[in-house]
Amino acid sequence: MGMDDAWLLPAVPAAAFAALLLFGKYLPRKGDWLAIGAIAASFALFIPVLADLLDEVGREGFAGVVSGTDWVEFDTFNLRLGFMVDQLAIVMLAVVTFVSTLIEIYSVGYMKGDPRYGWFFTAMTLFVTAMITLVLADNLLLLYVAWEGVGFCSYLLIGFWHERRSAAEAAKKAFITTRIGDVGLLIGIILLWREAGTFSIREIIEFAQDGGYSAEYLTTAVLFVFAGAVGKSAQFPLHVWLPDAMEGPTPVSALIHAATMVVAGVYLVARMMPLFVVADPVALDVVTAIGLTTVMLSATMAIVATDIKRVVAYSTMNSLGLMMVALGAHSVTAALFYLFVHGFFKALLFMGAGSVIHGTERQEVWELGGLARKMPLTALAFAVGTLAMIGIFPFSGFWAKDEIVNVAADELAWIVVAFLVFSIFLTAVYMTRLYLLVFTGRPRDDHAHEHAHEAPPVMSLPVLVLAALAVIAGFWAFDQVGRALGFPGGIGEFVFLDEAQEFAFPVVAAISSSLAAVGGMAFAYALWFGEAEQARQLGERFRPLYKLWKNRYYFDDAYQWAINNLVLVGGNVIAWFDRNVVNDTGVDGSAGLAVFSGFQMKFSQTGRLPNYALAIVMGVIILAIVFLAVRV
Amino acid sequence: MDWAVFATIAVPAGTAGLLMAIPSRHRDVVRYVALMSGSSLFILSLIIFGKYQFDDGGYAFELQLDWLGNVAFLGEKGITYHLAVDGIAAPLVLLTGIVIFAGVFMSWNIEYRNKDFFILLFLMVGGVYGVFESVDLFFLFFFYELAVLPMYLLIAVWGSSTDFGTFVRTKEYGAMKLVLYLVAGSVLIFIAIFATFVEAGQGSFDLPVLGSVTYGENFQKTFFPFFMLGFGVLAGLWPFHTWSPDGHVAAPTAVSMLHAGVLMKLGAFGILRVGMSLFPEGAAFWAPVLMTLGVTGALYGAISAMAQRDLKYMVGYSSVSHMGYVLMGLATMNEIGINGAVLQMFAHGVMTALMFAMVGAIYDQAHARDMTIFGGLSRNMPRHASYWAVAGLSSLGLPGLAGFVAEFHIFVGTFQADYIWAGALGILAAAITATYILRMLAFAFFGPFNERWASLKEMRIGEQFGGAVLIFFIAFMGMWPMPFVDRIAATVSRLPGIT
Repeated sequence: MGMDDAWLLPAVPAAAFAALLLFGKYLPRKGDWLAIGAIAASFALFIPVLADLLDEVGREGFAGVVSGTDWVEFDTFNLRLGFMVDQLAIVMLAVVTFVSTLIEIYSVGYMKGDPRYGWFFTAMTLFVTAMITLVLADNLLLLYVAWEGVGFCSYLLIGFWHERRSAAEAAKKAFITTRIGDVGLLIGIILLWREAGTFSIREIIEFAQDGGYSAEYLTTAVLFVFAGAVGKSAQFPLHVWLPDAMEGPTPVSALIHAATMVVAGVYLVARMMPLFVVADPVALDVVTAIGLTTVMLSATMAIVATDIKRVVAYSTMNSLGLMMVALGAHSVTAALFYLFVHGFFKALLFMGAGSVIHGTERQEVWELGGLARKMPLTALAFAVGTLAMIGIFPFSGFWAKDEIVNVAADELAWIVVAFLVFSIFLTAVYMTRLYLLVFTGRPRDDHAHEHAHEAPPVMSLPVLVLAALAVIAGFWAFDQVGRALGFPGGIGEFVFLDEAQEFAFPVVAAISSSLAAVGGMAFAYALWFGEAEQARQLGERFRPLYKLWKNRYYFDDAYQWAINNLVLVGGNVIAWFDRNVVNDTGVDGSAGLAVFSGFQMKFSQTGRLPNYALAIVMGVIILAIVFLAVRV
Repeated sequence: MDWAVFATIAVPAGTAGLLMAIPSRHRDVVRYVALMSGSSLFILSLIIFGKYQFDDGGYAFELQLDWLGNVAFLGEKGITYHLAVDGIAAPLVLLTGIVIFAGVFMSWNIEYRNKDFFILLFLMVGGVYGVFESVDLFFLFFFYELAVLPMYLLIAVWGSSTDFGTFVRTKEYGAMKLVLYLVAGSVLIFIAIFATFVEAGQGSFDLPVLGSVTYGENFQKTFFPFFMLGFGVLAGLWPFHTWSPDGHVAAPTAVSMLHAGVLMKLGAFGILRVGMSLFPEGAAFWAPVLMTLGVTGALYGAISAMAQRDLKYMVGYSSVSHMGYVLMGLATMNEIGINGAVLQMFAHGVMTALMFAMVGAIYDQAHARDMTIFGGLSRNMPRHASYWAVAGLSSLGLPGLAGFVAEFHIFVGTFQADYIWAGALGILAAAITATYILRMLAFAFFGPFNERWASLKEMRIGEQFGGAVLIFFIAFMGMWPMPFVDRIAATVSRLPGIT
């Protein structure tokens, strides 16, 4: 068992999916054990792959191991089911397989009693399969296949409770919005293929580094590829689907936000980073700008959001934007480090939120409050997640976020860094606010409060595991910790673009970001602790800003307007054109013309000899004139 | 096994004859005869597809019987009953077998003159097989007409009219328009066949003979459009496509399935088999036009489908859209694109047949097809909903299902042929497909359950089985396309003028 056998990682859950789809109904407990077992097996199989990689990674020129088989092949064209294991894939796999396993275990408790319990696990298994395939794909075609598979599974799962109109709509919105990005991705992939003649990621990168593409061509192609990442990773302007995606069951949200789906876009950009480096610098500037815009939009919208899951969803957008900024500073290390720790604390936050919803059947923060006493474990876990998300020393988020600020300070304009630090302040504000409103103060809904109970162990155990990881995962930044675990060093020595990235810890960055974070917490405490009267007053005073944030910068409204007034009207215009112009005028018109001319012509058939004789004479005269004219 | 190809034409013809002899009051006997015949055609088609040796991509199962020769302008082998199957025809023969097999199940409940219905249906199927398998242009044309004409009666007698509120599209109108349109197309084909015959001067209508002649460039440029438009009409070539939505909507279920699933492919097949293989230079000259019309159809069909509320019209316009992809693939003039076109013919055939079958299954119960008046139907009809979903997901190009494999080849071929704008628009059209498919699913099957339709039940078992057969092939091709690609590529790489 080594890196050559990496195809087993997606194959095992894929087989489990097929079994569940066909026989799930007849299995005991509807086959939830099979689903969990398959994902856990995938994680178990990951460990020898990792060990094998660690043996190889020190070797000179090691660049991953490729295995696989042809899927379609004729003449010079071939499409592969190829898998590649390298450091980048390994970090992703660690997050995907491990967090997914915990989420599936948690789901046993959360989804208990649901009429489509079995179907839930079936779809979750496919979701994880697709994500593992995406991460392991050695070529862009398989990556695209898995990419679409992930999108499709998100459609199934966001719309899991499809009897609810809102869930059905959210699922549709997620699929179509990401699909718009995928149009760009597919165009980008084929553009890259067109010159290089291969879909293999490694060969395309080599081709680009040898100067095979012209700069403009490559820049265009990578920007199209980036469009796919924008859709999947919920970046501005295709971010609108993510907050609505919480219509799905909470474990689904956890899976989408932490382990699968949204991080796929970040992974894609990280994977294609050598192309971005070769391309015109404007490509990475676009990545930075989009990422930073997303950060600022999400951080401000989160401050006024009142749905517990929605706030956490905005915090994911915030994190994804940060990762994009890190990539814009061409630091794969910083992005992946954040992605790694984010997987743990974001899953933790969602599962904590899920426990709250499960216990109270409420998710509006204004109907919650004072839950710390009723649900101490959940409150503790949620507090850890919150601190990690804010980035308080020594929680994992602190190290990862600081790394991003560092690389941004090194590579990007000072204004970007300033915005980043400001966003850390905002993050601290909305996360603290969320925690205060949900877990402290006076219970606002007595019924919900009485009803509240701690989650069963099958739910709280995974949460506690994640809480522990959310505390310690960040220490992988240190060489000593990495070496103790068998890695060549810290994460910077393991995942990097061209050369290992030393772990840097400039005190200025740490202090300024910590100050921003603590300041944000204090600010939130002052506003929202207790009755939150000050916050209300502030909201009144800055009414327009409040409304702007509350209405999500009117993106949804603008898009809805465009769909209603441009897309659907356009469709109706075309349909009208087809019916009235092409068909009724063009087709029926020519038929009508034939009937009409036939009708008119019939009058020439009078049956009277003189008429015919006249026609003959006229004909002869005309022919004679023509004949003479031609002669002359 | 050489008799298999002959049998695919003899069996439907024989079935039609046999049915004529059965008194029409024995409705069940008629049904079982149709089922027997449909099953044997399915098996025969599987055999032909499976046994086709794809090493060199040439003709297999060849059969040549003299019919008319040494008279007047005809040479010694003037007109021969020459049947054969190559790598392009093999998947389409299989497609025909699949769709007629499933179609019989979908037509099981026809009560009104079901004997006459099946007679006409099998005549049509015989014609379809004949076109795919004829290597002699005379018989190809003969079978082409045979496949089109029964359609008139099938639609006009067993079809349904659609009331749009402000106006009605009657079935008679749909039937009339469809047949007149296709006959107009065949006039062009007829002219071009005779022009080719005279120009070649070989006294033969046999395609290999005609193909051995090199035609002048101007001759090719003049007469390729006759084939392109003539066959193109049947392939739903924009803007000559309006017969397709109206005709398909008016037609009874099995006829829609066969017509959209298989007959539209006759058009694309004709362009490829006759037009492009005889006139490669003419095809190269007109390819930009074909590409433009193809991508226009793909986009225009998708946008029109988005505006439909009638399920069947939505499927009808989606056929226009998907056949646009086929024409794009042909217009690339390269191996990847044409492979994609043939793959798309098969993929679209099975998935559109499934969609029409599902429309029929719901219409039989609800007598309504307006998607907006339904809601939450997946509660009572979960299997029906999932069949719809599979067909829809395949048509929006979800990897793992047939549509993706085909469309991916077409897009790659289009980019390779330097029609980057067309490829990009084609990919955009696939995204629009996603909107109308998901919109339909959300309207009809998801959301709160609409009590008005509480009486609707799951599909009949026969419908489920027929649908399952189609789904099997959608998934099979989507996951393991090599059996198709091997056969198609072997023949496509032999075509003249292909890069």
